[in-house]
Amino acid sequence: MNSLCHVLVLSVLFYTGYCESCKNVEVSSKSFTTQDATIVTNIAYISEFIVKCGSGSLSHTYADVDGTIIPVFEVGPSTFQVSWTEDIKNARRGEVNIRLFDEDGYTALRKALRAGEEISSISPLFAVSIYHPGAFNGPWLKSEFLAVALSVVVAYLALSSRSKLLS
Amino acid sequence: MPAKGSKPFTKEEELLLQDFSRNVTTKSSALFYGNAFIVSAIPIWLFWRIHMIDVYGSLLPFLFVTLASTYLIAIAYRNTKFTLKHKIAVKREDAVAWELNKKLSEDKKMSKKEKDERILWKKNEVADFEATTFSIFYNNALYLAIVIFASFYLLRTFSPLINYIFSVGTTASLLALLSTGSK
Repeated sequence: MNSLCHVLVLSVLFYTGYCESCKNVEVSSKSFTTQDATIVTNIAYISEFIVKCGSGSLSHTYADVDGTIIPVFEVGPSTFQVSWTEDIKNARRGEVNIRLFDEDGYTALRKALRAGEEISSISPLFAVSIYHPGAFNGPWLKSEFLAVALSVVVAYLALSSRSKLLS
Repeated sequence: MPAKGSKPFTKEEELLLQDFSRNVTTKSSALFYGNAFIVSAIPIWLFWRIHMIDVYGSLLPFLFVTLASTYLIAIAYRNTKFTLKHKIAVKREDAVAWELNKKLSEDKKMSKKEKDERILWKKNEVADFEATTFSIFYNNALYLAIVIFASFYLLRTFSPLINYIFSVGTTASLLALLSTGSK
């Protein structure tokens, strides 16, 4: 019985050590956003980041993008990806900050949400950002407008020289 | 045609009448119809490449609308030319007379009457040419401007075929109608 207790205590210690949360995080990220909005209806934001833990490990991650919690996918060893889309009209320009949480952080987030508290006060494990320079929505001056404007100028010249001849 | 019982017109009178009539020479008529056909056919390209009309399904409308538009624009050319010709003749009279007098001043043998006739003939030629070319330019400019505007803005919501028939047909009719005015 005594030895059984020892085994139990040891295994509990072992597993808590194994599942130790990620510390001293080093993150390198790259991102993609839609640049050409002429043939699409939504702007996509994708961020892929490689996480190196100084100690511990990271299994599940959750992202908070301006108050919306989005699941993060593990696409490779220590490589994670988070993506979402936004309407062209509402798509934000400039830096978009993504706050990332591990399981513990996510639990805290859920707790705060249940209690109706601000989730921005919970500090994330780490954060990455996406820079969206804005998407191309077609030329500012449409070609048909240009064609109409030019032809109206020529027509005006014709009309004015006609009235000059008839005067 | 001269009235019954009166003398038939002399050659000079016939020429004078021709100058003041709406009828145009065969050469001028060919020029008008050729130009009118080209300018009527241009919108086909616009509707084919820009408005993405079904070309093979719309061959008959293309043919009919182009022919009708050619006829109407030729009328517009002719009427505009008629309105402008005499105004231009009056405007260019002095310049033509001055130039011809300078040219013919060395020729002492030529009588005053012949000189005047030459001036009149030259004045007519200049006015005819200027009125013809200006009429083509004026109607083409208006036609293309209205067709482009109507097809891109006024009739944008209609199907390309309806858009084509109405923008080209209405514009050509409008030009023919406007050309009948004297101002």
